[in-house]
Amino acid sequence: MEEKKIKFFEQKNWIKENLSYYKDSGSWAWIYHRISGIALLLYIFMHIWSLSPLTSGKEAFEHKMAMYSTPVFSVIEWLLFAIVLFHSLNGIRIVLVDWADGARYHKKLYKLTWIVGIVLFLAMGFVMFSHEIFKLFR
Amino acid sequence: MKVTLSILRYDPEKDIKPVRKDYTIEAEPTDRILDCLDKVKWQHDGSLAYRRSCSHGICGSDAMMINGKNQLACQILVQDFKKKYIKIDPLPGLPIIKDLIVDMTGFFQKYDIVKPYLISKDLPPPKERLQSQEERALIDEAVNCILCGACTASCPSLWTNENYIGPAALLKAYRFIYDSRDGADNERLDIIDTQDGLWRCHTIFNCVEVCPKEINITWHLSQLKKKCALREF
Repeated sequence: MEEKKIKFFEQKNWIKENLSYYKDSGSWAWIYHRISGIALLLYIFMHIWSLSPLTSGKEAFEHKMAMYSTPVFSVIEWLLFAIVLFHSLNGIRIVLVDWADGARYHKKLYKLTWIVGIVLFLAMGFVMFSHEIFKLFR
Repeated sequence: MKVTLSILRYDPEKDIKPVRKDYTIEAEPTDRILDCLDKVKWQHDGSLAYRRSCSHGICGSDAMMINGKNQLACQILVQDFKKKYIKIDPLPGLPIIKDLIVDMTGFFQKYDIVKPYLISKDLPPPKERLQSQEERALIDEAVNCILCGACTASCPSLWTNENYIGPAALLKAYRFIYDSRDGADNERLDIIDTQDGLWRCHTIFNCVEVCPKEINITWHLSQLKKKCALREF
């Protein structure tokens, strides 16, 4: 009979373990990359679902689209852009790590990911909301 | 000063699962964690089990998880921690034999898989196998590995897939693949270019953070990834 092996980290507790273990920039990048990847996967299904009224005519589709043009949805779209941004910029970081000796400067790359990401995020916010904000002060 | 060590104890003959026990000892700020463990074993509880051999960071037998990070107990001092409550656990992801001693059989089986020895296709030269300085520089870092297992046990890929070869074995593969005297590059690449091999590395850099010899393991794996990918063309 094979004895049951006791491990300090058991496979079934992987979330708890990953959270309890020491983390540096590399592990955070990995965790955020996974989470944003799953979020984007869910978004794709939602996107397809939201386009489904196309099959029941122009009016049903336009009614649905009106729902998506509210300010609340604009903010949600802006957050979606943040997720896309992190996932794509970190994806470039991973390509550099694997193909351009990025493993030697991965921490700098991680910081750069955040800096470029935040700048582009704010720029997109300006593009999306500047019209509304200017309207408020007119 | 007073230091409290919180050690994960497990005796397979008595305990069903590991339990945490606290020991408060008197220690100098310059004492190593290994010295503290010695004090616990010699003065408080003789039943504590852990590996130690050279105690100078060369043999790599005392790798353990200290405050949630894999480290060599002989390389880290009490003064390195702000809080004087230090958690000590066995290496994660490996079966516990007793207390802080883990079963390294799987680790060394994976090490054997990559053929960690010279395979030369030429006849032995009369004197020695010469290597230029440039050729040697390629493996300068990789030869420093002391096989403590800290990297492999720190890898989240390994925690969820125990068949993953792990960074230590892959680093050894690099060491021989990039050795100018070795002639079995493709043989080794075939072994690591598999599902549970090289491609389970998700560049998390946990191995690089914990390596007591400061080897940038992920960089070496990225070189192997390049070699494997370029082989396809």
